[in-house]
Amino acid sequence: MAPPARYEDAGKNLQRQMMAREYDALAHAKENRTPVAYLFISGNIQELFRSFGFLVAYPEINALQCGIKKAAGPLILQAEDKGYSSDVCGYVKNDIGLVMQSNKSPMGNLPRPDLLVCNFSGCNTYIKWFEALSEFYDVPLVMLDVPYVRDGLVPKEDMEYTVSQLNDVIATCEKVTGRAFDKQGLSDILALSAKAEDKWCQVLETATRVPSPIDSFFEAVFFMAGINIFRGTQECVDYYDAVLAEIGERVERGLGPVEEERFRVVMEGPPPWPHFRAFWELFKRWGVVCTAATYPKVGGLFDTGLRHDPSRPVESLATYAMNCYTNWSLDKRAKLMEDYVRHFRADALVIHSVKSCRSFSVGQGDFRDLFVRGLNIPTLLVESDLADPRYFQEAQLRNRIDAFFEALDHRKLVAAGGAR
Amino acid sequence: MHFAGVDVGSTTTKAAVMDEGLVVVGKSLLATGANVVRAAKTAFEQALQEAGLEEHDVVYVVGTGYGRYKVPFGHAQVTEISCHAKGALRVFPGSRTILDIGGQDTKAIRVSPSGEIIDFSMNDKCAAGTGRFLEACAGVMGLTLEEIGPVSLTSAAPLRITNVCTVFVEQEIMSHISRGRKAQDILRGVHSAIAARSLALMRRVGIEPEVTFTGGVSRNPGMVAALEERLGSKVNVSPLSQYLGCIGAAMFALERAQGAAPPRPLVGELHIVGGH
Repeated sequence: MAPPARYEDAGKNLQRQMMAREYDALAHAKENRTPVAYLFISGNIQELFRSFGFLVAYPEINALQCGIKKAAGPLILQAEDKGYSSDVCGYVKNDIGLVMQSNKSPMGNLPRPDLLVCNFSGCNTYIKWFEALSEFYDVPLVMLDVPYVRDGLVPKEDMEYTVSQLNDVIATCEKVTGRAFDKQGLSDILALSAKAEDKWCQVLETATRVPSPIDSFFEAVFFMAGINIFRGTQECVDYYDAVLAEIGERVERGLGPVEEERFRVVMEGPPPWPHFRAFWELFKRWGVVCTAATYPKVGGLFDTGLRHDPSRPVESLATYAMNCYTNWSLDKRAKLMEDYVRHFRADALVIHSVKSCRSFSVGQGDFRDLFVRGLNIPTLLVESDLADPRYFQEAQLRNRIDAFFEALDHRKLVAAGGAR
Repeated sequence: MHFAGVDVGSTTTKAAVMDEGLVVVGKSLLATGANVVRAAKTAFEQALQEAGLEEHDVVYVVGTGYGRYKVPFGHAQVTEISCHAKGALRVFPGSRTILDIGGQDTKAIRVSPSGEIIDFSMNDKCAAGTGRFLEACAGVMGLTLEEIGPVSLTSAAPLRITNVCTVFVEQEIMSHISRGRKAQDILRGVHSAIAARSLALMRRVGIEPEVTFTGGVSRNPGMVAALEERLGSKVNVSPLSQYLGCIGAAMFALERAQGAAPPRPLVGELHIVGGH
């Protein structure tokens, strides 16, 4: 009899525990007199706030959790009752709905922020979201205007511009907390970030194996919690050690996310959180494994070599803030996905376009054309939403997904000389 | 030995029975209605009856269409995208672009010379430009679905219909009627609007000749004319257009029964599609 699995589901279970601890700490922030900053995931400069002793909360993650716990629908409706249009991002409306019920979410209570930091300016809706919260809570809002990364390297001026804004943020933090900026402390935190980033990249790289031991989308969206939320902590480094141990065990036992890997795809776009399981099943039925995905790179494109650098802390935060997936130009995104297809030996690209997020959905029609016509890589584009359960039409999605993999199956058979 | 395909669409259910020589020996078409399982059964029985066969004469049945998982006697399910492409290529082997307009779905499919599906695109979450859209227009004008195509062809001065929403187009038509516009001019505008929308969908997959037009709406001569006008070329239309999905399904049944492309069982839990 085979020995019992030691690390089975370690990645998911530990992640859940870490999230629960984080929410617990946030719930007690006020009584512990710990200042709280609200940030967005994309390009979040959490290490800086950690160095000032802040606890960091992410309304986006809160909305995501409401989605996966099937609590988003009524919250979104509440925001719409208040006058928010059906076209406004589901994450925003989910959060507005929460604010209207005193921030009581299925995960616990988010404390009132002491500081709001809009660290991603690629999404105009996000700016408006924090402006609304700033008015509601009557707390200062810091806007970081992060320049978009166009085609080449980051110009010197963009770097200087971002660093100067970070220096302003540092001054604000000093004022809010009454503490002086501790550069060495920040460097120490960043050293831990870089360690976790190395390990996260090792996790992602395991998907080059055939068959892949992990699903780089449906599982990576859980594994990414470390890199998105807990960077700069030893806990985060340990977390990735545990994930790597679990993956090593899977490889040893010949286990993977599906029973038989039949198709390898690259996934573009966020998942439909309220229907996460159902969406995954639509692919699992076909033996589909995502060997790379863009969504887990919203919190940083570390797999392209990006790392936090303790020797130049503030500059390194600026470089990081700019190099997050949705802050890249469409050309750079397309090239990244093409590289993913080749490096992770994928058969196809699947684009899940979500109504809520223009930062993602802009350009996806062009990606589809480029991949199908220009690169001859089979591409499927399906649509629903990341937060609003009303936009998930299972019958339509199933039809498109089934048709796509039927055709791909047929192509493989023809290529193998097995079909007429 | 015989094989069958049953295409359970949102509006109509079609069935075809085929022999080993790929000859359709029996077919049927009926309204799907609320009971999808019954519609599938009845369509199959009627096709068998036309062929003069019994159920046990058919060795393999493939279900297709939105209700494909509601064909209880089906051995396998294949999407209508694959089935329509296969059926269209059977009737028009030169097809490279296939436009299928059904009751609630419009799809454009591009196929390679060897019959592989290279790309497909479908309307999303909206019935504009489908059979339902035409039905709504016919209804507001007090005509039947069969009448509107021929009436539209008599127009000399087509109107421009700007609305692409199945619900709001009724208001636009009403306003034209109240201004005394001619029925044929309004209808020509309606057909032209759908053709424009369909063309946009086809452009997404790339338009390559020959273009084959299938599905219930291809039986409407006004729609064929509007599409040809927009395309600037002829399109293939067959009297069997509505049956091409179930014919394609029957061809898959034959292939699978003969083991040419062995069916690979789908793994994992199956969510049953609600009654469409």
